[in-house]
Parts: sequence; C-alpha cells; structure tokens
Amino acid sequence: MSAGAVTGMRAALGEHAPSILVAALSSAFGVSLLSTVGVLTTAIRADDVTGASATVAFILPIAAVIFLTIAVYVGAVVTANSFSTIIAGRTRAIALRRLLGSDARTERRAVTREGLLVGVAGSLLGALGGTVLTTLLAATCVTLGILPDLPYALAEPVLLVPTVVVVLTTWLASWIGSRRVLAVTPMQALGASGEANQEEAAGGLARSVAALALFLGGDALLAAGVFIGLSDPQGVLVALVGGVVSFLGVIVGANRVMPVILNLVGRLFGRGPTARLAAANAVRHPERTARSTVGLLIGVTLITTFVVATAGFQQMIRAAQAAEPEVYAGVDRMLTTTVAVFSVLMGYSALIAAVGLVNTLSLSVLQRIRELGLLRALGFTRGQVRGMIVAESAQLTVSAVVLGLALGTFYGWAGAQSLLGGIAGSPGLVVPTVPLALCVAVAVAAALLTLVASLAPARRATRATPVGALSA
Amino acid sequence: MTTATAPVPAHRHVSAAQPIAEALNLSKSYGSDSATVTALRGVTLRLEAGAFTAIMGPSGSGKSTLMHIMAGLDTATSGTIALGGRDITRLGDTDLTLLRRRRIGFVFQSFNLVPTLDVEQNILLPFDLDGRRPNAAERAHLLALVDSLGLTDRLRHRPHELSGGQQQRVAIARALVTRPDLVFADEPTGNLDSRTGRDVLTLLASASRDRGQSIAMVTHDPIAASFADRVVFLADGRIVDDRGRCTPQEISHLMLNLEAAA
Ligand SMILES: Nc1ncnc2c1ncn2[C@@H]1O[C@H](COP(=O)(O)OP(=O)(O)OP(=O)(O)O)[C@@H](O)[C@H]1O
Ligand SMILES: [Mg+2]
Repeated sequence: MSAGAVTGMRAALGEHAPSILVAALSSAFGVSLLSTVGVLTTAIRADDVTGASATVAFILPIAAVIFLTIAVYVGAVVTANSFSTIIAGRTRAIALRRLLGSDARTERRAVTREGLLVGVAGSLLGALGGTVLTTLLAATCVTLGILPDLPYALAEPVLLVPTVVVVLTTWLASWIGSRRVLAVTPMQALGASGEANQEEAAGGLARSVAALALFLGGDALLAAGVFIGLSDPQGVLVALVGGVVSFLGVIVGANRVMPVILNLVGRLFGRGPTARLAAANAVRHPERTARSTVGLLIGVTLITTFVVATAGFQQMIRAAQAAEPEVYAGVDRMLTTTVAVFSVLMGYSALIAAVGLVNTLSLSVLQRIRELGLLRALGFTRGQVRGMIVAESAQLTVSAVVLGLALGTFYGWAGAQSLLGGIAGSPGLVVPTVPLALCVAVAVAAALLTLVASLAPARRATRATPVGALSA
Repeated sequence: MTTATAPVPAHRHVSAAQPIAEALNLSKSYGSDSATVTALRGVTLRLEAGAFTAIMGPSGSGKSTLMHIMAGLDTATSGTIALGGRDITRLGDTDLTLLRRRRIGFVFQSFNLVPTLDVEQNILLPFDLDGRRPNAAERAHLLALVDSLGLTDRLRHRPHELSGGQQQRVAIARALVTRPDLVFADEPTGNLDSRTGRDVLTLLASASRDRGQSIAMVTHDPIAASFADRVVFLADGRIVDDRGRCTPQEISHLMLNLEAAA
C-alpha cells in the first residue's frame, strides 16, 4: 500500500473515530443491558418467593427494549449527523472527482461503505466490551454475595441482536448522512468563495413538508397515546412511537426551525463585531447550524423528557397513594430505585448525544479554517476569532437548550400522562412540572460541553499563520 | 480629480529615503529537510511610500510568498521585515494583527470574501473588525469606490452569487475602503476583462497618486504592470530585475527573456 493511501486511511479513521465510538457505546449498552436482564431473570426465577418472577420476567425485557431503542435511535441520528458534517468538509474533493468524471452514486456508495466499516468495527468492539464488563460485574456480585451462584448464560445468541442492529443502523445512518453527496455538483470544485453554498439553498420544500408531516403525525400519535392512557397504561407505547416520530420531524426540519430561534437569541449577544459576525454565521448557514445543534437538541430533549416524565410519574403515584394508602404501601422505595436505575439508563443515551455534539461542533469549526484565516488576515486577532466561535457556539447552545427544554417538557408530560392517566386514584390529568434545578443543570452542562467542543478546534484553527489557514 | 481634497502626504517627496515596507535578505523554505521547497532566496526589496509597484515573474517564482511575508501574514525562514520603519519580524501576533487591520489592505489571489456576509458587509468588514462605523467621509468614499467598481446594484448579494471578477472587485473595494497606507494586491485583475481591469488599475493608480497610498501588485499582465511606477521581476525566489515605469512592450520583452532563461 502506498504512503498516500495510508495517510488517507489515517485521516478517514480520525474523522470516523467518534462514529466508531458511538457505535461501540450503543452496542456495548445493548449487550450489557440484555445480559443483565438475563442474569436478573435467572436469579429471580431461582428465588421465587414473592411469586413475582413472571411479572418481572415480562417487564424487564420491555424496559430493556425501550431504553435500547432510545440509545440506538440517538446513536443513529448522531452518526447520520456526523456523516453529513464529514461530507460537508469533503465537498470540494468530491466535486473535483465529479468534475473529473466520477458519478454521484459511486461517490455515495464509497461513503456508505465507510459507514458499514465504522458500524462493524464499533459494534464488535462494543459487544466485546459489554460482554467482558457484564461478566466481570456478575462475577463480582456473586463473590460479594449479592447474587446467588448460578450458571448464568452470559454469551447467549440473543446478544447478537443489538450487535447486528447497531451495525445496520450505523450503515443506514451513513447512507442518510451521505444524501448530500448526490447534490454536490462539479461546479463546486471551482467556487472561489470556498463554501459549499449550494447547501444553503438546498433542502427545499419536500424536506420541510416531510418534517412537518412527521412532527404533526407524531403529535397525533402522542395525543392518541395520552387518550388510550386514560384507560390503559399501554398507551405509553403508542406515545413512545409518537414521540420518536414527532422528534424526528424536528430533526429533519431543524434547518428551518433553528435559524428562527437563533435570530431571536442572536440579538441577546449585542452588536460588537464578533457578536454580529457570529450571529450572521449562525443564521446564514442553516444546514451547518442544524448539524451542529442536533446532538445537543437530542441530549437536552431526552433528559428533559425523562425528568419531566419522572416528576409527573411521582406526582401521580403520590396522589394515588394519598387516595388509597393501603394499595400503595411501600411504593416509595420502589419509586426511588426505579428512578435511579432509569436515570442511569437514560444518562447513557445522553452520553451518546454528547459525543455527537462534541464531534460535529469541532468538525464544523475545523472545516472553516480558511474563513477564519481570512478574518485573521484582515485583522481579527486570535482572541477575536475565538471570541466569535465561542459566541456562535453560545448562540447555538442557548437555542438548542431552549427548544430542547420545551420539547422535552411536552414529550415528558405526554409520556407520564399516557402511562398513568388511568391509574387507580390518580387525578386523571397530570400537570407538567419542569424542575428548575433541571433547567440550570442542563444549561450549565450544555454550556461547558459546547465551550470545550468549540474552543479546542478554534485554538487549533488560529494557531496556524493566516496564510497557512487560507491555503488549508 | 480628488487631488484638491485629498491630504497631500508629506512623505511623498522624500519617498526615496523613507520606505513604507522593507524586506532585507528574506528567505523562505517550506517543508522538512527531505522535501524542502525554497520559495525565496535572499530577497531585499524597498517599497517606497506612495509608490505603485508591480511585482512580476513566472508562476512559482515566489511572488505571493514575498507579499504574504512582507505583510506579516506569514513568517520568513530568515531575514527581516520593516513596515513604516518598524521591525515587525519579531512582533507579537496581536500587534501584527492590529497593524494589518489599521494600515494594510489585501486582495488575495483567491478566497477573498467571507461567505456568510453580503457584499456591503464584506466591504465594511475592516471597520467592523476595528469596532467602529464609517464616518460620513468614509461613507462617501465607500460609495465612490463601489460605484467605480460597478458594484452598486450588487451590495445585497452574497459572494456565491457573484462572478469571479465581481468577487475580486469586492475584495479591492474592501482593501481600499479604510485608505490603508499600504495595499497588497495579488493578481487583482486576474479575473477581469480588459476594460474592467483598466478601471481597477486606474483606481489603484489614483489611490497611489492622489492619496499617497502605497500599492504593491502582483501581476502576470504586462499592460497591468505598465500602470505601475516601478516593476520588480522575480525568478526562482530572487529579484532579477527592477525598473521604473515601463511600456507593456518592454515588459513583455523582459518577461519573455526571463522565461527563456528559466
Ligand atoms: N505552503 C507551501 N508549502 C510548500 N511549498 C509552497 C507553499 N506555498 C508555496 N510553496 C512553493 O513556493 C514557491 C513559490 O510559491 P508562490 O505561491 O509564492 O508563487 P507565485 O510566484 O505566487 O506563483 P503564481 O504566479 O503561480 O501565483 C512555489 O514553488 C510553491 O510550490
Ligand atoms: Mg501567487
């Protein structure tokens, strides 16, 4: 293999490392979750004093599947997003190959092949890690006497399911994320203004209509779920699907939604040269903006949904408990444990979203190295360039956090309502509660993440001489 | 003519003694020792204040490199640079940036405009960077520039909606709008037809003659170079000829000789 090919592969590996990590995290999660469920079910079956094993054996897999779905969904969206960011950075190279006669489908297939490799590598790594982890954990628990010493089956064929699912979703995500390749024209190899400007105009009506249809359709399902929930807790499953679909609509339409919010938020940042330029950048490049915010939006929406749903859940259980104390005796401990376990499971998906956020944000900064070099050449100091990037990220963060909190409150309420609307002794309707501490915690965490994710690449981008950056 | 209103620069007539920019024994190499490319080999060049200098030479002779280093955009491997009598070779990054912002204008060979800003915002960028708005006189200057560059009905367009030559003219307007002491232009007429090119050259010449701005322009075009007060020839990283005002024919002849020698 030539030295050039090796360098090329190393560069591609660097670009894809976060996607491999996301795939690995998802499949590790799936494998650990399923084997943990297996271990717990075996343990509970062997110790069936309460006679509850049938119920538990039924509930555990369902909970596992729900959390697994969420993690895989988040992972797929994040990966699709990473791929479209990478494509944006490769536009010129792709355009040049198109100019020289390569056809668009071949180009896209090449990207999708990378996606398959990323999926296989990440998923296998994750599965291995997950299996090792749960084996060690189970062994430790047995040694400590927390679990009875039973022949637990830790490498069951069922574990292949999450592994394969992650490979397939990563592949699919790379296919969706590489959609833009088809829109790259040979002309873009020639553009002197540098950016893939077509990207801004593209993503037209069809996409907006699809986004709106998904959003409204999802909301209709949510409403149905809430309605069913008034008599049957299975309404939550309908609501889950509705929430996923509705949120997908938001993600698909993010290039329309985010600029509107950003426009409002941008005004809060004053009129200095850095702030003005930052605001223009964020609003004028809706695709890039959407890509950079999706990871954060998912994370914030997810956490808010969960916390608001939990708060509603607690509120309803408390109300029910007050009405019929004898039925709900001892429910408190169960409630605390459930919330704790679910928080960890949900936090895992938030972690995947965070990886995506850091990745897309830093990639988009690095892709703008020429533009930053130009500003430096014209008299922006290093500090001002960094200030601009940070102001831009701050605007993106604030907008994504605001939207995420709003969406999460809505989805969380719908979730709690559809699960518990019909519970004995409950008030029937939950009032959505948004814990203030949540808002603060989410805002602070998001701010720190974006700062780290954008400042490090901005540093790298400004370290070069202006000429070095301009010819990059 | 604007001569009556433009401040007559005091240094105009003592220019020979007062270079605005001065490169001493400048060398520049790229790459590591195994694959070194030497772009400049000991270039010494004084740009006189208020003069319009053309820099010519075959492709790859080091013209852009020289211009970038003299403007403090890149660092030399060895040698020193002084701007306005001040040694900038060891100047810190922030000081260099402020110098560029306030005293130097640029037109690059390519990628000149910020893609997210429209034409007017791109032209006003030097004011923005300095955190101020143009005053009435500067506004008038801006409008005159925009008008003479034929950009008046393009102010609201974004760079990707412009032709290559229009983008180049926007960059020229931006380089001149703050009336910097020194303007570096890397092939500013490279994408222009002969008439538009002549308008741009007239503009540059009058900036030098009427406002005492110093202009350094890289060009491959003998006609463009004939607008300059002085023509410097570069070949293989060295200055090989340096003359006063020349006719296009003389310049063509010199260039052909250079290329034949190479
Ligand atoms: N970043 C770089 N890395 C390595 N070599 C470089 C770099 N920049 C320029 N060079 C080399 O330095 C030499 C001079 O380049 P320069 O861009 O100054 O030429 P030029 O005279 O402006 O040419 P042109 O008329 O084609 O624009 C060339 O041989 C070029 O290959
Ligand atoms: Mg050049």
